[in-house]
Amino acid sequence: MAAGRIPGQRWYTPYLFAIPALALFGVFFAWPAVTAIQLSFLEYDVVSPPVFVGVENFTKIVADDRFWTALLNSLLFLVGMFPLLVVLPLLLAVLVNQKLPGIRTFRMLYYLPVVTSMVAVGVAWEYVFHQQGVLNWMLTGAGILDQPIQYLLDPFWALPALVLVEGWKSMGFYMMIYLAGLQTIPTNLYEAARVDGATAWHRLRHITVPLMVPYIAVAVTVEMLDAMQAFTSIYVMTRGGPQDATLTLGYYIWSVAFEHYEMGYASAIGLVLWVLMIGLAILNYRLTRGRTVMP
Amino acid sequence: MMLRRAGMYLLLTAIALAFVGPFLILISAALKPPGQAVFSFPPDVIPRPPVLTWVMEAWTAIPFPAYLLNSVIYVGVTVPLYIVVAAMCAYPLALMDFRGKNLIFFAILSTMFLPSEVMLIPRFLVVSQLGMADTFAGVILPGVLSAFGIFLLRQTFAGVPREIVDAARTDGCHELRIFWHVMLPAARPTLAILGIFGFISVWNSFIWPLVVLKDSAKYPVALGIAYLAGITGTDVRSLAAGTIISIIPVVIVFMIMQRHVLEGMRGAVKG
Repeated sequence: MAAGRIPGQRWYTPYLFAIPALALFGVFFAWPAVTAIQLSFLEYDVVSPPVFVGVENFTKIVADDRFWTALLNSLLFLVGMFPLLVVLPLLLAVLVNQKLPGIRTFRMLYYLPVVTSMVAVGVAWEYVFHQQGVLNWMLTGAGILDQPIQYLLDPFWALPALVLVEGWKSMGFYMMIYLAGLQTIPTNLYEAARVDGATAWHRLRHITVPLMVPYIAVAVTVEMLDAMQAFTSIYVMTRGGPQDATLTLGYYIWSVAFEHYEMGYASAIGLVLWVLMIGLAILNYRLTRGRTVMP
Repeated sequence: MMLRRAGMYLLLTAIALAFVGPFLILISAALKPPGQAVFSFPPDVIPRPPVLTWVMEAWTAIPFPAYLLNSVIYVGVTVPLYIVVAAMCAYPLALMDFRGKNLIFFAILSTMFLPSEVMLIPRFLVVSQLGMADTFAGVILPGVLSAFGIFLLRQTFAGVPREIVDAARTDGCHELRIFWHVMLPAARPTLAILGIFGFISVWNSFIWPLVVLKDSAKYPVALGIAYLAGITGTDVRSLAAGTIISIIPVVIVFMIMQRHVLEGMRGAVKG
């Protein structure tokens, strides 16, 4: 360490710079993380003092039907958002990666839902989903539906409707991840393929997708974390209903903690969610590792 | 070739309509006069004539100016604070050797993998214990540490030519002066990226303010809209008007700063 020889720098200088970040880390991340683990072994309603209950919260999870409903719904979110956030954005990125006048404007418009709040997006889509709204008009007009549907009040349609809204809102973000990747692919690869007579589909299948695997891996990881944390759209549009049809783990944790004040039980569910997310992240890493070889 | 290009623009425009359409429906509903139906088959989207009644009604149905001001305060305090904290932490991580450097870096990176719902309850209890429940500080402080910001700035600082730093040090420049007068100006594009992403995320923040605030007078505007939507008897037109007002500031900032967004995504994905 050459620290002593640099004027104005003592051994503690680096630590002084890092102090604000470290203090915030300690107070708002490390301390709560430890508290979360402690809480999951307690019964605590904020008013009366906490009681140690051992693993009771975790055994309660196993027998809790609403937990399993929430877990299933979260996994449905995960699966449903996959085509919307991992597949479609890649096609969008290819589309807006063309050198056309005004293409930046289109990129910006596709990104617009990303910068607006989920609350605003939720309100806007309630107008789209209205019984007399645009979506019902288009689907009945095209003969796909006989009757208008109240999507958000229908136990079957409510979850797909929310998946659509969440996917629609974030699609532009994933498009930008892919666009960043596409711009690293040398254009002469495509020109060579074109000279060899490769069709657009072949170029996508044999050049773009293989080279984009690292970015697809990023998109999959972010998609999983996003899907498992869906909350605001549910809070604004359905409150977990109808009949728990849109009750996800994130919403269930919030509801148990801040509507029923069962902080210990909610923390235990939170820990399960945490372990699940780490598990999914590791699984994804395993599946995509070693596939990132450049030609 | 011409036909192909026209077809391409048609496709691009159709997709753009899918992304902008719901907002256009909101604007249309917000401007319709009382006599014109909001919903109908086929949709009747042109307000005849456009009126500002609903904007005025939304403005007074909830304390709109106060919520907008609150959001401005949350953004105005959080964003500069988070950038300075991130830059200060990133500076030694990029340019100095010291014990515990990797430990600090990985501890901060690990915060990216803590899901917000898991942290919600314990963080609420910690903030309550510190006496910051239902305060501006309670809303702001937990959002100041940003692993993303530290990560991006560490990369940026590491990319600043070493000779500039060494020259400043040989001239007897204090580390704090190097940080402030050499590194921060050199990192200006990254600071712009962090500024725009910070603005968007704080302006739209919902779940944390919802949990930490009891007093509706301290609500940011996104919470205010949810509150307006929850009031029974709110006219659908005035809810639409309020929602539009709430997103105008962030849309304007985004349009001005949009070229930085792609650069930011590129920097973040690379790492």
